[in-house]
Amino acid sequence: MVSIRAENLSLTYRLRQKLTLAPRDKRMPTGGRIVGKGRTRFVTALDGVSFELKAGDRLGLVGPNGAGKTTLLKVLYGVFEPTSGSVEINGRVDALFNIRLGFRPEATGRRNIVLRGLINGWSEQEIEARMEEIIEFSELGDFIDLPFKSYSQGMAARLAFSVATSLEPEILLMDEWIGAGDPAFQEKAKKRMAERAEKAGIIVLASHNHALLKKTCNKMLELEKGSATFFGMLGEFFDGKGCKT
Amino acid sequence: MFATIKIALKDIHAGLRMRRVWIALAHEDIGDQHRRTALGPLWLLINYLAFAGTFIFVFQRGASIPNYEAYVATGLLVWFYIMETISQSVSLFVREESFIKGTTLPLSVYVMRLATQSVIRAGYAFIGCLAILVISGTSLTVMWAWSALAIVLILATAPAAIILFAFLGAYFPDSQFIVSNLTRIGMFLTPVFWAYTGGGGVRSTFYYSNPFTYFLEIVRIPILSGDVPVRSFILCGAITASLWAVALLLLGRLRKQVVFVL
Repeated sequence: MVSIRAENLSLTYRLRQKLTLAPRDKRMPTGGRIVGKGRTRFVTALDGVSFELKAGDRLGLVGPNGAGKTTLLKVLYGVFEPTSGSVEINGRVDALFNIRLGFRPEATGRRNIVLRGLINGWSEQEIEARMEEIIEFSELGDFIDLPFKSYSQGMAARLAFSVATSLEPEILLMDEWIGAGDPAFQEKAKKRMAERAEKAGIIVLASHNHALLKKTCNKMLELEKGSATFFGMLGEFFDGKGCKT
Repeated sequence: MFATIKIALKDIHAGLRMRRVWIALAHEDIGDQHRRTALGPLWLLINYLAFAGTFIFVFQRGASIPNYEAYVATGLLVWFYIMETISQSVSLFVREESFIKGTTLPLSVYVMRLATQSVIRAGYAFIGCLAILVISGTSLTVMWAWSALAIVLILATAPAAIILFAFLGAYFPDSQFIVSNLTRIGMFLTPVFWAYTGGGGVRSTFYYSNPFTYFLEIVRIPILSGDVPVRSFILCGAITASLWAVALLLLGRLRKQVVFVL
């Protein structure tokens, strides 16, 4: 049974002053809470977040920039390890954070599909089986055998989107909606995403687009400075019980 | 500590299972580096032969070294491999930042990708080395098996060194420039094209206190003089074991932390 259970999830990391001979990097992280002074400063990116999702749930993740939305998605995906608390995930997780990640400009579109497939852990048979469908969906035609660097931005985005959404995960994590290609392709992309949402057991979608969240989700989790300020049904959130953003 | 090592071994095991990924990416890397050139990766062979030729014909430092051509050929092969592996390692995690922040691939995938890339590049130098050995009349003996074993030992050391330098580069960005300079200078401080023939002095210090000397010797001596440099083999084995111990601790400890410093 597909499910996600996060209990008292916290993520704190040390803001390291890199050992460098150059002037200090004054950049600060964009989110979370900073505690401590001087060389021992810590960022609390998530603080005691708890929620539970079961098959069929579509969770909308909202909050201002730096609230911890992407951090939470990355904890659920396994990029970050929580400092305390627990996260229990049943089901195959896939994520769409950066759809252009890993494309090689010198390789052809076809070769890039193979490489992305390998990175995603697909077998050769799976890559072979998905190849034509990906090429067809991307509408790249003969361009698929030209180097990726020769693609227009729209073409590149179409290929990236087609590869990224060709899999059918049980749990799908998405950071913002993906706008790819021209209006006609965007329509097609929205339809594909709706289909994927239908098939995936659980979706967690971080977005600032309330209209999209109302259309896609049934539950909402609002984060602020790493803490959950609301978790409940979508209706309750937009009826004013939780909505602050 | 055992838990840390277990985590590291788990990462390495997961990375090894994804060998199709790092082999494919390593081949792409080599292809990309030479894509618009007429000779492609053959430039790696030309580069090696140019260096070897310069030392053999121009420097002619080998009047006192028997079979100087083979001495330089074997020394350069090992040195180029070590130098390239180290200098590419320090920026490894920084180069792979978007992957490390966006995927859950084990860190050892990036390590093995670089290790494979270095082996492919060294393969071209290896062809040049064999050619020089043949031309210089170096006879093939069973002792070459020791040199082959030495190469295996060096290849087995590479992933540990890559892990160590990759973490160093991530936590101490200046190390990229320090290591780059040291590897350039290292070519002259390591007996790649010169030999120590006694007499003490600075050359003796650089010869005996330089760990790279022993890695060069274990490949070179069985081919050149038909002896087994037992002491050098033991030292290299100890260095390899130490590097792996440190690398496993670093990988186990910092595997999930490095993402925060990139």
